[in-house]
Amino acid sequence: MTVYLRQVAAIVRKDLLLELRTRERLAAMGGLTVLVAILFHFAIDQGLVRMQQLAAGLLWMTILFGGMLGMGRTFEMEREHGAIQGLLASPIPLDGIYLAKVISNFVLVALIEVIALAAYWLFFGFDYGGDPLLLAGVLAVATLGVVAVTTLFSAISAQTTMGQTLLPILIFPLLVPVVIFGVTATGRIFASRPAQEVEGSLYLLAAFAVLSLAAGAILFRYVVEE
Amino acid sequence: MSGSPSAAPRTHAPVLEAASLVRDYGPVRAVDHVSFRLGAGEFLSVFGPNGAGKTSLLRLLAGGLRPTTGEVRVSGIPLTIGDRAARGRIGILSHLSFLYGRLTARENLLFHGRLHGLEDLDSRVPDRLRDVGLERYADSRVDTLSRGTVQRLAVARALLHDPEIVLLDEPYTGLDAYAGALLQELLSALKHGGRTVVMVTHNLGRGLELADRVAIQVRGRFVFEARRAELDAGGLERSYRRAVEEGA
Repeated sequence: MTVYLRQVAAIVRKDLLLELRTRERLAAMGGLTVLVAILFHFAIDQGLVRMQQLAAGLLWMTILFGGMLGMGRTFEMEREHGAIQGLLASPIPLDGIYLAKVISNFVLVALIEVIALAAYWLFFGFDYGGDPLLLAGVLAVATLGVVAVTTLFSAISAQTTMGQTLLPILIFPLLVPVVIFGVTATGRIFASRPAQEVEGSLYLLAAFAVLSLAAGAILFRYVVEE
Repeated sequence: MSGSPSAAPRTHAPVLEAASLVRDYGPVRAVDHVSFRLGAGEFLSVFGPNGAGKTSLLRLLAGGLRPTTGEVRVSGIPLTIGDRAARGRIGILSHLSFLYGRLTARENLLFHGRLHGLEDLDSRVPDRLRDVGLERYADSRVDTLSRGTVQRLAVARALLHDPEIVLLDEPYTGLDAYAGALLQELLSALKHGGRTVVMVTHNLGRGLELADRVAIQVRGRFVFEARRAELDAGGLERSYRRAVEEGA
């Protein structure tokens, strides 16, 4: 493993260890996810509305709002005792810090997706239909795009007094492509449509994720430099 | 000290150079045309009143802050924000510890060691903890430690990777007499190991003890500079008082 990857792994390991100890972000994100499932369980008359038609939208609403709640605090832990200055004073390239934060956020949001899918199955007896691997692929690339954008903007919002209030205003317009293609692809998988109907959205989501990651890696230095 | 840095060759070529450094924060000039050159094994103590720009100067030297004009050179090579490799040659102790409260002392050092790409952390981390007298706190979470203990751990963090250049911002803050003496020994070992040290402090006595050169910074500018041999404690105190009064 190269030094660069070991440095990235060190930050990921540290972030996940801190999250495991505090469960600050995971508790907020998981709480919201379960709350959404409970609310819709009572709000929807499952005799009138087919869960299949709602599930994709519900899942993406959970990912976006839950993700925002947790990822908005990505750099909070680095403000304690000036830890971010310690990171910046170390030899890890700045894009490595960004990449590490993307990976640790990705793990958290993926966990939330698992909790959401389990909650829908529990509360609605939801049958996920379709190809589970294709569903995992769509969720993975779409989540990567969401996380890449949100991580960059959480670094920006961490330096403002408005902080987390500012974050949704900044990123929701940028996430419109992910929402459109993510909901479309997920809905088609839930409806057990052929894989060919999902491929187009999947490629667009992958392109968005790659572009967002590249832009984030380049722009991150301008965000954290003084 | 155990695990102390191997002696670097003493040379007259500048290891650390500040070339007419200026840093403005909007209309406020925090660092005003500061220049100096330090070779291997040289120790510069910078004194100054609160708000003199000492911390900004250290951040410029560490490459954590972009100069408005002027530049910092490490072994003759300009230090840029994007130059990450140069950071491996610099150790900085700020007035913030750069430590994570919810990690243990050992976990914090392991983390910083991995960031520096160090391989021998199994032996290096216990050595550094021993150097600062914190072996028994190795598995204590930082947020349970006293301020002085955290400061000692921050010293261990700053020196973990055997940096050639050590930048210290008020390193004696929060330290009791024992810990202060321990730190003095560490700094002395660094100096005699050929490390280049810049220390910012209010403590004239401590600062003078190890210094080869001293400077007094007022309103961003070095208003007084002298070699250690040209000064005694009384002379430094008089110079300091005069410089601060004239700058006020």
